[in-house]
Amino acid sequence: MVIKDQEAAELLEQDLESVSGVELHEGDALPESLWRVRWRLGWAALKKNWKLFAENKIGLIGLFLILFFALMALAFPVFRAVGPWQDDAVYDPIIGYDAVVQELEVVATEADVVDPATQIDAVNAQLWCFGALPGDTCEIPRAPAPPNNDHWLGTDPLGRDVASQLTYSTRAAFFLGAVAAIVTVVVATTVGSMAAFYGGWLDNFLMRLADLVLLMPLIPILIVVSGMFTVTMPLLGVMIGILSGFGGTAIVLKSQALSVKVKPFIDAARVSGGSNMHLIFKHVIPNVLPLSFLYMMFTVTEAVSLEATLSFFGLIEAPMTWGIMLSTAQTQGYLRSGLEFWWLLIPAGLAVSLLAAGFFFAGRAMDEVINPRLRAQ
Amino acid sequence: MTETRLDTAEGDLDTPVANGEVPILEVNNLVMNYEMKSGMVSAVEGVSFKLPRGKSLGLVGESGCGKTSVALTLMQLTANNARILDGEIKLDGENLLELSNEEMRRRRWNDVSMVFQGAMNSWNPVYTVGEQIRETMDIHWDPKPTTAEARAKIEELFTLVGINPEMIDRYPHEFSGGMKQRAVIAMALACDPKLIIADEPTTALDVIVQEQILEELRKIQDELGMSIIYISHDIAVIAEITNLIGVMYAGKIVELGPTEDIFANPRHPYAWLILSSTPSVTGPRRVLAPLEGEPPNLLDPPSGCRFHPRCPFATQKCADEEPPLADIAPGHAVACWHHDQVPATLAKVEA
Amino acid sequence: MLRFIAKRLVQMAFLFFLFLSLVFFLLQAQPGDISSQFINPTIPAEVQQQILARLGLDGSIWSQWWNYITNFFTGNLGVSFSQFPEPVIDVIGERIPRTLFLFTFATLLSYIMGFTLGKRVAWKRGGFSEYTVTIGGVLLYTVFYPWFGILMILLFASTLGWFPISGFLTPEFWRNAPYTGNEVFGQMLLSLTIAGIVVVAGLILARRAEERSTARIIRRGGYALSVLFLAGFWLLRPDMRPYATDIIHHTILPVVTLALVAFAGTMLLTRSSMLETLKEDYILTARAKGVPESDIRDHHAARNALLPVVTSFILGLAFIIGGGVVTETIFSWPGMGSLLLTATVIEDVPLATGALGFIGILALLAHLLVDILYNVLDPRVRVQGGR
Repeated sequence: MVIKDQEAAELLEQDLESVSGVELHEGDALPESLWRVRWRLGWAALKKNWKLFAENKIGLIGLFLILFFALMALAFPVFRAVGPWQDDAVYDPIIGYDAVVQELEVVATEADVVDPATQIDAVNAQLWCFGALPGDTCEIPRAPAPPNNDHWLGTDPLGRDVASQLTYSTRAAFFLGAVAAIVTVVVATTVGSMAAFYGGWLDNFLMRLADLVLLMPLIPILIVVSGMFTVTMPLLGVMIGILSGFGGTAIVLKSQALSVKVKPFIDAARVSGGSNMHLIFKHVIPNVLPLSFLYMMFTVTEAVSLEATLSFFGLIEAPMTWGIMLSTAQTQGYLRSGLEFWWLLIPAGLAVSLLAAGFFFAGRAMDEVINPRLRAQ
Repeated sequence: MTETRLDTAEGDLDTPVANGEVPILEVNNLVMNYEMKSGMVSAVEGVSFKLPRGKSLGLVGESGCGKTSVALTLMQLTANNARILDGEIKLDGENLLELSNEEMRRRRWNDVSMVFQGAMNSWNPVYTVGEQIRETMDIHWDPKPTTAEARAKIEELFTLVGINPEMIDRYPHEFSGGMKQRAVIAMALACDPKLIIADEPTTALDVIVQEQILEELRKIQDELGMSIIYISHDIAVIAEITNLIGVMYAGKIVELGPTEDIFANPRHPYAWLILSSTPSVTGPRRVLAPLEGEPPNLLDPPSGCRFHPRCPFATQKCADEEPPLADIAPGHAVACWHHDQVPATLAKVEA
Repeated sequence: MLRFIAKRLVQMAFLFFLFLSLVFFLLQAQPGDISSQFINPTIPAEVQQQILARLGLDGSIWSQWWNYITNFFTGNLGVSFSQFPEPVIDVIGERIPRTLFLFTFATLLSYIMGFTLGKRVAWKRGGFSEYTVTIGGVLLYTVFYPWFGILMILLFASTLGWFPISGFLTPEFWRNAPYTGNEVFGQMLLSLTIAGIVVVAGLILARRAEERSTARIIRRGGYALSVLFLAGFWLLRPDMRPYATDIIHHTILPVVTLALVAFAGTMLLTRSSMLETLKEDYILTARAKGVPESDIRDHHAARNALLPVVTSFILGLAFIIGGGVVTETIFSWPGMGSLLLTATVIEDVPLATGALGFIGILALLAHLLVDILYNVLDPRVRVQGGR
């Protein structure tokens, strides 16, 4: 087995050399295992490709956005453990409650209210301060409250801290993206390689299935599925991963696997007695993986917006997500009257859009590195 | 109608000077650079030549020597980053570089048409070949041809280049490679140009088809009196069909003269070496001489003679001073300080 | 061509069959036994058996599956739980024209905008406009769609007041109307369909014309005729016009919102496809031929750049249908998408799966249309399939 690998490694090396442009020296590969060769070549190619990637401003913006959200995801546990929200139940994103008390001056009639932010008429005031007369001060708990010192992004209609909800949900979004991405990579590389390698009815079946998945709109399907089952975040991640992995990604990876299949090192490995499974897992899949990682980025983009859409419709069983934040504001009627309650509308919506954009930008830039014909001259 | 148009190709009556004396194309000191992030690439450097009416000129050199750049500059079809810095391109006495973009657009194909490298890709896949030829007539003919006139002309051209006229309404993918190239030649003739530029007209074709296409081109030159510029890296192709040869190296013409002269007696070391590296079927058997080294980086071309780093005859003078393209015999010019040292016979490498 | 369409239809039917089977097995995989919803376990066993038989639940899973498929293909989708005793097919039948309307117009608008802008942006490489349009396109492409919809409503309906906030019509206005909303809407669809057919017929006839000038006249005649027809049609229905106007007023914002988001994808794709095409040799040939620049852009480059854009439409289709569901929900537009969501939320399973099935049919039919269009546009495919 070792010798077989070494022979293949040399051929693979030639191949990778031509792809990555990395110089290799004779005899380098022989004492090392195939995976170490791959790793080293991959690292060298990465260093070289990083340069290309860094030339692309959009890619850097994407990377910056991803890093920003990663820090945000870290902020929640850090702030809760040692930071400003330490041990304070008020900052719990789900069960915290803190009404900001506002002191209003009671005036006689509605017509006397000059500034609704500081004044309230006597009739309305009875709701909070029973017996209040004009000239009194009435303390009214307000939720949602606008941003203030305690709550940097204000509170939601249920008196919960928006900043803590936002950071808490970032973690959920990353988690979902990661699950969907891993499942896609595993499914799509396996499906694509199998279809390319075995051909015949298996190829036909898998590709028709891919057509079907491509054609069928995801949102309606997921809506109906969420009506039938209790959809939690991990389950949603797995579903998106499987759908994306059997669909478009599988088709792209199949064509990549087909081009790997005809490379000389495959023949070499076959001649030296490698079984089909050995060939697929040791030779085809590793060469398809880079492209697979690229499509993973786009899957994350899709997963982030899909999750937000579904939880906006109240179909996801999760304690708190960006979609749920928007949904709460929407169903309580705070989004109808313009930007008055902007802190309920802007942060969550922007977070979904920007995280999706971050992965999309980074994916586009990677695409340009991998497909040189897309690069601008 | 079509008859008269073919006739005018023989000579332009507007030319004040008698036909034989004004060359159809005169290029003087043409300089074209590509502007890159890293600096200016000197792609065409002081190219000058004259092409008499009804004759053919071959530009030959290794890839990247600026042949295609010359062709594109003549048509002013160079990429956006190309800068024509100096020179004159006189077509029938009229300097094309002084024309506005719109005037130049009208001249293209009407006065100068092109047969491109890789005719396979010269055809737009979504229109029929007939439609694409017709397009040139709709643009340049005055008045525009009617459908019947256009068809008649295209059929005539197809017959001339040896394509079945019934292929007019077929799409490019239904043509074979050779047929596509013939159809390109037919299209090049659709507006009866004064000059045709053929850029590697046979490169992508197999040898037999190559021969047929060359035959077709020669016929056009002979029968229609067409002036043609050939561009090729393949000196054998050039030898077969041209009257004149310009050998290009690194953006410059290093040797220019009648085809027979250059073949019989190459005076520039580069010409001598590339001729030596071409196997000859009829001549004596010899071991081919290798041309050592790499073509120069045109971002920073060598000082003096651009060939000196690869030249077996180079001296200090070659690195210091640039040799001018000077006549050594009537009509035969060479840009080399040591042209008299180049052996009269082709190089031999003894085993 | 007919053979091609027939072949495609068979493929689509097969795909749809797969899809329905998937829905069926999802239903089966639901936690709990569906029969427990209808059968009180305390009633006698033979009565239980009778109920199961009437519901078709007594056979094996395979016979149930077969029943489900055949019922769907014969239009028997059961009875809606929430709108009892209305059959699901009737509820869907009422909603489908509205969704088709939203979907068709948003798609057309997004493709026309996306293609025109994409080709122009690619043509003027590197300018300020390319930068802004590309960035704008990318932002629209990645924006969280429901959020974008809310922002659009806030801006154009709440703040500027140009359009109604939501719904399909203004209920107060229609209280004493002599027509129902569906009657007026039916007339609108009828007139638009005929106008569309006239335009398409003009385009097809123009392709057959010998002379280019005749082709142009036929094409323009088609446009003019369809406009004339629309004008005449509505001039003859003066009482209906204000109601039709009300519906149109409600349509604009949802259509534009959906089109804007879908447009970004088309534009970005047209741009990159156009940039690829511009590197082709035949573009250089066209320049050498002295073809005017705008003709090179529109006739040589864009015509070829269109092909991958049309292909990608298949992907865009799923996206735009999904977007349609979101649009309908946000704008309270009573179409298939909002039906699907409401049915799911109130657990009206027959209605939800029925709606999903029809959305599937919609996607497949649109796919078929795109396939035919591609066939017309690309001679390489046309000749292989046609001869």
